[in-house]
Amino acid sequence: MSDIILSVNGIKKSFGGVHALRGVDINIKRGETHCLAGENGSGKSTIIKVISGVYKPDAGNITIDGSEYSEMTPQEAIRSGIQVIYQDFSIFPNLSVIENLAFNQVLANKQKLVNRKEFRKVAEEAVEKIHFSVDLDARVETLPVADKQLIAISRALLDNAKLIIMDEPTTALTKNEVGRLFEIIEDLKKNGVTILFVSHKLEEVFELSDTITIFRNGENVISMPTSEINEEKFTYYMTGRKFDKEEPKAARMFSEVVLEAKNLSAPGFEDVNFKLHKGEILGVTGQLGSGRTELSLALFGMLKKTAGETLIEGKEVDISSVQIAQKNGLALVPEDRLTEGLFLPQSIIRNITVSKLGKLAGKMGIISEKTLEEESSDWVGDIGVATKDHTLPVQTLSGGNQQKVVLARWLSMSPRVLILNGPTVGVDIGAKYDIHRLLRELALQGMAIIVVSDDVSEVLATCDNVIVMQGGRVTGYISGQDLNTDSLAQAIQ
Amino acid sequence: MKIKKSQPDGNMIRLLAILAAFIFIAGITKPALFMQLGNFQSIGKQLAEYGLMALGIGVCMISGGIDLSAVYIANLCGISAGLLMQKMIPAGGSNPGAMFLSIAAAIVIGALCGAFNGFLVSKLNIPAMLATLGTYQLYMGIAVVITNGSTVSGLPSAYTALGTALVAKVPLAFLIFLLAVLILSFIMQKTIFGTRVYLVGTNPKSARFSGIRNSSILIRTYMISGIVAAIAGLVSLARINSAKADFGSSYTMQCILIVVLGGVNPNGGFGKISGVAVAVVILQVLSSYLNMFPDISNYFRDLIWGVALIAVLIINHVIAKRRIAKLDSV
Amino acid sequence: MKYFDQLKKQSEFYVFLIIILLGIIIQMRSGLFFTNNNLLDIARSMIVPSIYAICAFLAFLSTGPDVSFPLIAALSSYIAIDVTTKMGYAGPVIVTFIIGIFFGMLMGALNGFIIVRYKFPSLIVTLGTSTIYSGLLLGAFEAQRMDLPENLADFGRTSLMTVVNQKSGLGSTLPMTFLIMAGLYILTYLVLNFTMTGRGVYALGGDEVSAERAGFNVKQIRFGIFLINGAIAAIGGLCYSIMSMRYLPTEFAGGEMIVIAAVILGGTRMTGGVGTLKGCILGTLLLTMVSNSLILAGVAVIWQRVFIGMIIIIGTAVSALQGRSSAKVSHKPRKEAA
Repeated sequence: MSDIILSVNGIKKSFGGVHALRGVDINIKRGETHCLAGENGSGKSTIIKVISGVYKPDAGNITIDGSEYSEMTPQEAIRSGIQVIYQDFSIFPNLSVIENLAFNQVLANKQKLVNRKEFRKVAEEAVEKIHFSVDLDARVETLPVADKQLIAISRALLDNAKLIIMDEPTTALTKNEVGRLFEIIEDLKKNGVTILFVSHKLEEVFELSDTITIFRNGENVISMPTSEINEEKFTYYMTGRKFDKEEPKAARMFSEVVLEAKNLSAPGFEDVNFKLHKGEILGVTGQLGSGRTELSLALFGMLKKTAGETLIEGKEVDISSVQIAQKNGLALVPEDRLTEGLFLPQSIIRNITVSKLGKLAGKMGIISEKTLEEESSDWVGDIGVATKDHTLPVQTLSGGNQQKVVLARWLSMSPRVLILNGPTVGVDIGAKYDIHRLLRELALQGMAIIVVSDDVSEVLATCDNVIVMQGGRVTGYISGQDLNTDSLAQAIQ
Repeated sequence: MKIKKSQPDGNMIRLLAILAAFIFIAGITKPALFMQLGNFQSIGKQLAEYGLMALGIGVCMISGGIDLSAVYIANLCGISAGLLMQKMIPAGGSNPGAMFLSIAAAIVIGALCGAFNGFLVSKLNIPAMLATLGTYQLYMGIAVVITNGSTVSGLPSAYTALGTALVAKVPLAFLIFLLAVLILSFIMQKTIFGTRVYLVGTNPKSARFSGIRNSSILIRTYMISGIVAAIAGLVSLARINSAKADFGSSYTMQCILIVVLGGVNPNGGFGKISGVAVAVVILQVLSSYLNMFPDISNYFRDLIWGVALIAVLIINHVIAKRRIAKLDSV
Repeated sequence: MKYFDQLKKQSEFYVFLIIILLGIIIQMRSGLFFTNNNLLDIARSMIVPSIYAICAFLAFLSTGPDVSFPLIAALSSYIAIDVTTKMGYAGPVIVTFIIGIFFGMLMGALNGFIIVRYKFPSLIVTLGTSTIYSGLLLGAFEAQRMDLPENLADFGRTSLMTVVNQKSGLGSTLPMTFLIMAGLYILTYLVLNFTMTGRGVYALGGDEVSAERAGFNVKQIRFGIFLINGAIAAIGGLCYSIMSMRYLPTEFAGGEMIVIAAVILGGTRMTGGVGTLKGCILGTLLLTMVSNSLILAGVAVIWQRVFIGMIIIIGTAVSALQGRSSAKVSHKPRKEAA
């Protein structure tokens, strides 16, 4: 039995002119935990789909446990012992836990009839493997995210999977849930299961993996034991550039209070107090479920408050709608740009000018295309959106550029307070640094900014002071001088 | 940033080409009947009713919804205007003031019906197809109740004269349709409201986050559909000198087909009023042309229409696919 | 207790309560609702709409609205009846049905092909094909009113059950077509719940991408649904003609809206993946009761539509307010340049 459980050689894959994979080789050793890292667009998601049979490669082959395949189907991949856990877990929200667990195996065995007793047995066996207790008859859509992921993992283990592939497994989990996941992965390791996980989070890479492979631009840039890599090399291989580590901000003093919250409560959080000053970047951090997102929504009028007050430049304002928030100079770059921020098939012009239509229009609400184009043109240039033609749909842009479009939209309104929720999620490192730099500049020019984020390095690089939230309440406040990795990490515990 | 000159609208070109082709074929095969002023006048007159409703449904579709109740709003408004005129104007008499009032009342009723639709869709979050399915029954039901199931007829000749009126040899009904096309086109293309309708139709969540008041936009959208339907009902009333609760039940599906053929994306966010207008004309030209063959039943038009729709959808699909593939390689 | 809790979560339960409530009200006002002849009348009126409901149900479950079943019913039953009459065929009714089913499936296949191949919205595609079938029926074939061939007429005259109400002297019969409806429901129930293909329909409606990844042949299943819909529509059309004792081509169009309303009221989600056959029956029963029996409660016939409209509006509003009508897994649109 060879050492290598999975190897892909010379895999190429293009989508209408875009070369997602340019001849990729990977070798995964039996029993190891292998991390696949890379930026958005590096090809890491594509190679996973080739291995699992969702995509057929244009060239190259896959060898699993000695058997060579030039192409795969999902069912064959499953039969060869490969199980993939996608970011959305591939579950059926409308079906029971039992059916979610049993289907893959039943289909792979080409069974035609439904035998509920058998399904139940299969399901019980599956959840036993990771000691997961759950109501088997519950409809999956009623369960929390972490449970859905455990269902996906249980299902993957059913078939005595030889290789489990996990795509960004910790994205939707709270810290506790991440801990539980890590324990399960350790368990799997002990039982000799080979794991390949995709991630861009350094902490995970170091904690879990034995070997790391880094993709860039559709190519395997390097594969090496994790013990030999450090943060600098990691960033270098991922981006091809050397970045100076972002300097933590120098402590600054502020005077004018622009936005104040007093005992503010809304669905998801209660009794929040803070003062935001002109020129200050205030961080709001905490795990998933801490109420940080709800706070940003309430400040922007998307969520109605249940108690407390918000004061803007000293005057009490009931921010009961987005329109009122806008009128008072507030702006929000939402958490999920794809579903909440952007109008994907619409042009970049429209996406940038959408919130300013009232101001850009002439008499009687009449819009001139030229005015819109000029406005958009200005911002595309100012903020650095990489595109040659802003009449193209915004979905043609990369994640980082899309985020810049949303930013441009709100900056064009000259807000007093700019709130950003997860400003650089899914954004490549280059754009990430650009955005951080931009925020710091804006603050220096007097804008008050709130950055809601759980990315420690981001908080350190941008924020002057930080509010820590947990379980819907503010549990800590870290000010300038005291702000560093340790104090932050401790506070988020 | 160099500002690119706006590209000619591919879909519009295809539609105009189809229209030109039909007129050409008709002109060649039935020159005596088709290439007559009378024929064109007839075409213009007949397309006004369902054409107006198609415009309204088109706007609703662009906003991400649909209006299945349009025909019944039209009927209800026509019936209301008819009943009012019957009450206020003695048989054989004339009273322009009362006529005007009845017309105004009908339009108000249309606006209210539309607003109710918009309310259900935006404030109660009922999917548009279901909401307007319910209101279609409701409005038809109300129409049945106020007419006691019978037909409203016997309208003042001054009003029915409008149904056949010509302005510089162009049927009044067609002018009304044209006016509606121009106004709606302008609203959708050149105003803040119109742009917001497109955006709400593309992604209602992002629309809210970007400061758009979705319910205000949607209520107004369905009100437009209601008002346009009311006008359609009034035109119909003038032309046939009667109004019934269940008239034109096949128009709904026909209008939806016209709208999609005209380039409106059923998922919302895209499509032009001008495209819908051209599609309406194409349908009526086809209809009138087929009418000139006494052996060919009118229903053949349905057959051709259905095939044309599927064909156009496929062609648009293939073209869009090619365009995206080209973009991918940018 | 757990059973009751589960019951409360299903919208079918509430529809059931409303039906009972309505029945009681009508009974109190007329004393005629829970009579054997009235109940049988309702059962008979429900036969064809219930059959159509299966079409609407399967379509919503897996894909989206299908509005072509009335016209498929019209055209396929026309062909079946015409062929049977012209051939002077007098054998078992099943043969006529098979002819109808064959053509129904052909028409359903067109729907299935276009929807699977091009992924156009099912509402628009079925609207288009519906128009084509209408054009074929009334344009190309110039279908007219037809008398039923002997075999169908005899079948129509056979009754499953006859009752006479002792007090009022009113009678009612339940035709054999009721068995066909029951049979279709049983068959559908078995397939949906006891075969993997059936579970695949639910899976596909719940999350198409996951279904594909799990190994379901999504294309085949979807095509199959529309194929089956065609067959069921054909059966419905023939039953309708049998029960009216003649064929009339113009009576079919427009029937889809009420059926869709019934199915949705019965708890089927427009977005797919959720719904039960019993919900379809309950929804159809509710709307049939309103059309048939409301008059017993003294509600004039002209108010029926208003009633139906209000029920649909209130029913869908309640559903929407409970957040039922739109829960769907949203796959993050991968709309970034790769």
